[in-house]
Amino acid sequence: MPVHHVMGNEGNYPYLLALWLLPLAGAIVNWAFGPQLKSAAGALGSAAIGVAFVATVLMWGAATQSVPSTGGVNLVGAHQTLFSWLPGFDFGLLMDPLSLLWALIITGVGFLIHVYSIGYMDGDNAFARFFAYMNFFVFAMLTLVLSDNFVGLLIGWGLVGLASYFLIGFWFFKPSAVAAARKAFVLNVVGDVGIMFAIFMIFASVHSTGFGDAFAFAGSYNTGWLFAICLTLFIGAAAKSAQIPLQTWLPDAMEGPTPVSALIHAATMVTAGVYLIARCAPLWSQNQDAQMLVGVIGALTALLGAILGCAQWDIKRILAYSTMSQIGYMIMGVGVGAYEGGVAHFFTHAFFKAQLFLGSGIIIHALNNEQDVRRMGGLIKTMPFAFVAMLTGVIAISGIPYLGSGFFSKDLVIQGALQHGHPWLYAIALITAGITAYYMCRMLFVTFLGQYRGNVDPSDLGIRHPELAGTSAHAAEHDEVHAHAPAWLMNVPVGILIVPTVLIGWLMFGGENSPWAHFFAQQFPHPALPAAPISETLTAVIAFALVIVGIAIAWARYGVAPAQQNAVERLRQESVRMPAVLTNAFYFDYAIDWLFVRTSQLLGTLFGRFLDPQVIDGAVRETAFSAQWLGTLVRSFQTGLLRTYAFLLVIGATCFMVYYAVAMGAAK
Amino acid sequence: MSPMAVPIADYVGLSAVIFFIGVAGVIVRRNPLIMLMSIELMFNAANLLFIAFSRAWLHNAGHIFAFLVITVAAAEAAIGLAIVVTVFRTSRHVDVDDIALMKG
Repeated sequence: MPVHHVMGNEGNYPYLLALWLLPLAGAIVNWAFGPQLKSAAGALGSAAIGVAFVATVLMWGAATQSVPSTGGVNLVGAHQTLFSWLPGFDFGLLMDPLSLLWALIITGVGFLIHVYSIGYMDGDNAFARFFAYMNFFVFAMLTLVLSDNFVGLLIGWGLVGLASYFLIGFWFFKPSAVAAARKAFVLNVVGDVGIMFAIFMIFASVHSTGFGDAFAFAGSYNTGWLFAICLTLFIGAAAKSAQIPLQTWLPDAMEGPTPVSALIHAATMVTAGVYLIARCAPLWSQNQDAQMLVGVIGALTALLGAILGCAQWDIKRILAYSTMSQIGYMIMGVGVGAYEGGVAHFFTHAFFKAQLFLGSGIIIHALNNEQDVRRMGGLIKTMPFAFVAMLTGVIAISGIPYLGSGFFSKDLVIQGALQHGHPWLYAIALITAGITAYYMCRMLFVTFLGQYRGNVDPSDLGIRHPELAGTSAHAAEHDEVHAHAPAWLMNVPVGILIVPTVLIGWLMFGGENSPWAHFFAQQFPHPALPAAPISETLTAVIAFALVIVGIAIAWARYGVAPAQQNAVERLRQESVRMPAVLTNAFYFDYAIDWLFVRTSQLLGTLFGRFLDPQVIDGAVRETAFSAQWLGTLVRSFQTGLLRTYAFLLVIGATCFMVYYAVAMGAAK
Repeated sequence: MSPMAVPIADYVGLSAVIFFIGVAGVIVRRNPLIMLMSIELMFNAANLLFIAFSRAWLHNAGHIFAFLVITVAAAEAAIGLAIVVTVFRTSRHVDVDDIALMKG
């Protein structure tokens, strides 16, 4: 029996159990009694998450308490052992500052999105089913971040993928939604398998799947073995967090209802990869190659997502690519070792990206499911609240100094890359910041400035397939803007989200003495680093200069008065001239199709058409045929005539006699 | 010095003649009774050899084997006759060429 390493203060934490199980209870009740609950399902689902949020807040003290003994790896947090599934394999809940932070976002932002959904999903046929899925997702995500071992984490990991599949394909009558759900699920299973292999390797080394045991051993793994563990873990992280080359499912996942995009595909589930790497910081800190790999992939994803964000017309796809890009930042941050920075960007991103999605949801809802920004325009007059929501979100994501939370966290990541000795990643991150400002402002200007273009013929705007861009055909029936005021249920959560979107970044202000640094002081390794060649202030200035350039280009292209006047023609021109490499998202789908799907199909054809019927069935068949042939041959000897047998017997005996006579003769 | 008045080669020659008469009887005759009798001839050819060599080498094993063969011959005759009787009861005549129930 291996020695088990302590993580956190062992004890009974009723709030911890409550916050973990309440969403599950909500899901079960909504699932079982949905038809009876009718519109109460939304209130019930939201209440379950709201109470869970309160319980999470009440856990704050226990989760941030230091462990008195120094025997364990994780020296902070609350731990409760629940049960043993095998002798020596305990399943328990662990809440330290890292999982506390995630739980706060999952339940807090989750609660706001649940409330918003009551308004957004109002009138949907499967209202209760929606909330059952949403509650189930929250439960699964909490399992993921609260588990104290890799197996529990993988269970949560798989369940959030399942919840994501349910919710992307929520409108299952849309073939595109079903296809997107399937794609997301399959790509996520690739990641699940990666984590499974990591668990096998960890178990082979430490004979345990607990975090404590795996991390206590961190310095003793064989280097190549540890790299393999980190690599397979990262395959899981890349699939879940939409990193190259497993990123293609995320834009398609926007087929789901907008609250789903906000909760699962922006704020929480897609950041699970960031959580995994931050959680496994002891492993990554021991392996430079793994850090380098994750850092490079994160930076490239950030850049790629930003470039592709410039080429999108669907408001949700723009946000999806921006999510991919921002998660690239986070992954880069935790990859290079700037754990506080990567996690900080998750924290601020959860607020501002949820707000951007919910703000876009208000627009989409008001315009009868129109999602193509070319058919929007001028919405600042009809939807000022949505404009404020989107504007503050854009300021935050672009990193305008001091005005939005994204500035603080993004700077932590960018400066962290430099400080940990990755100047190239630093440069990529800075350039990406400029591109981010450009495409987010492009979305903002095209959507809100100028004249409303919903009544323009889609082909005049360069929209080739109107049926692919939202439900434009439906929206085209309406001549005037009929922006019906969204219910207060939708506005209030967005309004509440504006506060953290603008202000929460100040937590990270102040370097070593910031509340943020104090919060994670005991969580992450803090190696002594040489001073960065470029100071933090200068980095912020460079980043801001690039952001200004990005905003200026966006303003020149979409904001200025001449651009507004012939917006229709300009948008048509841009749509027509958009490089194919961008509209096809760098051909990743094709590459995956050719490399994996087609080769699998070819292999399937080979096995199905040749190997199975010819070789395997053939062997069986030929054996049967030869036995039959042999039988026919031997049957012909069986005449049934006694005298024939006697005659053959005599011939045989004669043969023996001749043989012995010859053999004897030879012997003499 | 052989204890026998007649040389062993004569016994072997007589045994071979009797044996091949038996073989010819089994192969050419179609009456099962005659065939059984021919088989008895072959058995007795073998017995003659057992006894002759037993005497020639002054060894009792040949006698013992002769008794064994007689026993087997008796059993064989009993079973063979039983089959013949059964076949005769069903078909009223016995000709081995008409009986081919075991044809494959």
